[in-house]
Amino acid sequence: MFCVIALIIFSILGVFSATHRALAGQALDCVFRRVTLRPCNTDFKEKMKNKILAKLLNRSDLAARLFNKHFELLSWVFFVLMITSTFWMVKGGYNFYIYGSCSGLNQSGFCAFDPSGENNKITQLNSAGSCSATQKNENNLTLSGINLSGFPKINTGSKNTIIFIGCYECDYSRKAYPGIRQLAEKEKANLIFAHYPVISNTDYLSDIAYCAYGQNPEKFWALNDYLFTADKTKISDQAFISQALVIFGFNADEINQCVNSAETKTAGQKQFQEIKKTGLYGTPTIFINGQVFVGPKPYRVYRSAIKKFIFF
Amino acid sequence: MNLEKIRQDFPLFQKLINGKPPVYFDNACMSLKPLPVIKAINEYYYDYPSCGGRSGHKLGETVTKKVEAARKKIAEFIGAKHVEEIIFTRNTTEGINLVAHTLNLKLEDIILGTDKEHNSNLIPWQILSKKIGVVHKVVPSKPDNTFDLEKFESMMNGQVKLVAMVHTSNLDGVSIPAKEIIKIAHKHGALVLLDAAQSAPHKKIDVTELDVDFLAFSGHKMLGPTGTGVLYGKKHLLENLESFLTGGETVEYSTYSGHKLLPIPEKFEAGLQDYAGIIGLGEAAEYLKKIGYDNIAEQEYKLNKYLTDEILKIPKIKIIGPLDSRLRSGIVSFYVEGIDSHQIAILLDETANIMIRSGQHCVHSWFNAKNIKTSARASLYFYNTMAEAEIFVTSLNKIIKIL
Repeated sequence: MFCVIALIIFSILGVFSATHRALAGQALDCVFRRVTLRPCNTDFKEKMKNKILAKLLNRSDLAARLFNKHFELLSWVFFVLMITSTFWMVKGGYNFYIYGSCSGLNQSGFCAFDPSGENNKITQLNSAGSCSATQKNENNLTLSGINLSGFPKINTGSKNTIIFIGCYECDYSRKAYPGIRQLAEKEKANLIFAHYPVISNTDYLSDIAYCAYGQNPEKFWALNDYLFTADKTKISDQAFISQALVIFGFNADEINQCVNSAETKTAGQKQFQEIKKTGLYGTPTIFINGQVFVGPKPYRVYRSAIKKFIFF
Repeated sequence: MNLEKIRQDFPLFQKLINGKPPVYFDNACMSLKPLPVIKAINEYYYDYPSCGGRSGHKLGETVTKKVEAARKKIAEFIGAKHVEEIIFTRNTTEGINLVAHTLNLKLEDIILGTDKEHNSNLIPWQILSKKIGVVHKVVPSKPDNTFDLEKFESMMNGQVKLVAMVHTSNLDGVSIPAKEIIKIAHKHGALVLLDAAQSAPHKKIDVTELDVDFLAFSGHKMLGPTGTGVLYGKKHLLENLESFLTGGETVEYSTYSGHKLLPIPEKFEAGLQDYAGIIGLGEAAEYLKKIGYDNIAEQEYKLNKYLTDEILKIPKIKIIGPLDSRLRSGIVSFYVEGIDSHQIAILLDETANIMIRSGQHCVHSWFNAKNIKTSARASLYFYNTMAEAEIFVTSLNKIIKIL
C-alpha cells in the first residue's frame, strides 16, 4: 500500500523535481512487482519508511515508536484517506469546471481553484449595495408561475432559454452579463433580461429599459450592453442616461414621457413583483433552460448548461 | 598522537552534512584519504600525466621513477626483501585471483580456508574446484569465532597445497595466528596466501618475519586510492608462476609466432597501470608509517572497548566474535534478533550522520551457515574519536528503543 501512495505523491512531485521523479520510478517498479505478484526488490518501502522514521526520531521518540509499530496500519489509513481525498479532489475539479464552484452549483464553500469565491459572489437584496459571498437556498429559486412576457427578449423561438436577472450598477451582474450575451449570441438562445435594481438609486433604470425596449427592441440590446459596461458612478445620473439614449438612436423625449407615465409605473411594479416571485436573493441570478446559476460563473459554465454537459 | 591535527588532514572532517559533522564508521569497507595522498594523486594529473615504463621523455621518466618509488615504499611497508616482489593490482580480489589462476593447482589438491572468508577468497577456489577439481576445505572457528589452530593442524596433510586465509576478518575483526599457521603449513609442504585486506591498514605486517608466501591487500582500506592493490609474493615463487593477464608491458619482445615475458614484477602488470593510484598508495603507506601502528592499535582498542561495553548494555544485541575488544581490531559487528540491521544502519545515517555498513559484508557463507540474516558493522580507524563513539552509542540506544 505504501508503494501506491508513494507512487502517486512522487509522481506529482516529480513534475517539478528530478529527485522525486527517480523515487517515483522506484515506486512504480515496486507497484508493478506487487501487481505481478513478485516481491519488491528495491527496498524502496524500507528506505522511505526509515527516512520518515529518522525524521520523526529527531523530534519525538514516541511518535517514531508508534510510526514504526503501526507502519502497515498507517499506510492503509493514508491509502484510504488518499483515495477519498482524490475522489473529492476530482469531484471538486469537475464541479469547478461544470459549475464554477468546487462544492457544486451555487455552493460557496472554499474552493482551491477559486479561493476568493468570485464565482459565487452576488449583490444581496437589501444589502444596500454591499457585495459578499452568501449561502442561500437556491432550491427556492423557481420560474414556475412567473410571467416573463413583458421583459426584453431576443432570439425568441429558440429551444434554449436564458433568463438574466441582474442589476446595472452591481459588480457581479456586470461581470456575468458579457458571458451571457456572448452565449445567447453564439447559441442563438432566447435571452430574457430582467433588471432588478438592488441599489435603489438605479430604480428608474428599470423604467428606462422598459420604455427603450418598447420604443425599439432592436436598439435596446445595444443600450443594455452599454449600461452594463459604462462607468457605474454615472448611470445614476439621468442626464447621462438621456445622452446615452440619444447616442443609441432613441427618442429621449418620448422615453422620458414613457418613464413618467402611469402605465409604465404599473408595468414596472408588475415586473418587479414577478421577479420577486422567483425567490431571488441576489444578483446576478441566471436561469439557463431552467437550471439556476447564482453569481457570476465562468463562460464555460453557462455554455455547459446549454450543451448539456452537466452529468450530476 | 595528536588526533585533532591528524583529523585536519582528512577533508571529510572539515565538512558538515545536513548541518551535522559526519561520523564515519565504515572504515572496513573504505578508509578516508588524507591530504598528502590526495595531493600525490593530483600532482600526477597536474604535473606529469603520462606513461610510465614506456616513454623516455621527461614526464614519462618522472612517472616511472615515482611508480618505482611507490613500489619501494610498499616493499618497506610490509618488510619485503626484494622490491620486485611487489605486484601492483587493482585490489585484494585481483591479487588472490592472480595466485589462484597461476599456481598450477591440480585435481584433488586441497586449499584450506577459514569459515569467515570474504567472497574474494572463497569464490576463486570454488570456481577452480569446478574447473579442475581442486578441493576447498574450511577450517571451522572456535565457538567464539577465533581461529582453531588445533583443528587446523589436524586438517593439514600432504594433499594441502595452499592455505588461503583471511588475516583479519572483515566480519568480526578477529585475526588468525598467521605465524603459527604458516609454520605448520610449511611443515606440510603447503604454501600460504594471506588475504590482508583488513590487516594491512591496522597492524604491522612483516612478510619476511611471517615467512608468508603470498599476501594480498587493497589500497582503499589503508588511506590509499580506490582501484589500487598489492600482491606480495616470494621472488622465486612469483618467477615460477604462469602469467595471468598478458599484453602490453608484460613482454620483452614479441614476434608473429611468440614472445618473451619480462621478469617480475612487469610480467604481472599488464596494460597501462593506475599511475596516480599507485603513487597515492605509496604516499598512504608513508602516512601510516608516520602515524605508527602502535598508535593505530591503541586508538582502535580504546574506541572498540567503549563501544563494546556500551553495546553490551543494550538488551538483545549480540556482538559477532569474541567479547574481548582487543581481539576484534577496529570492528564491532552486531545484530539484534527481530530487527533488520539495514534499518539500524539507515536510521543511524539519517538521524546522526553515522555511516556504518549493514548486510553480510561479503561473508555470505558464514551468515548462511549460522542462519543469521545480517549484521550492522561499525568499523573504526585511528582518526575516529571518543566523541564520535559517544554519538554512536547515544543514537544506537535511541534507535533500538523505538524499533
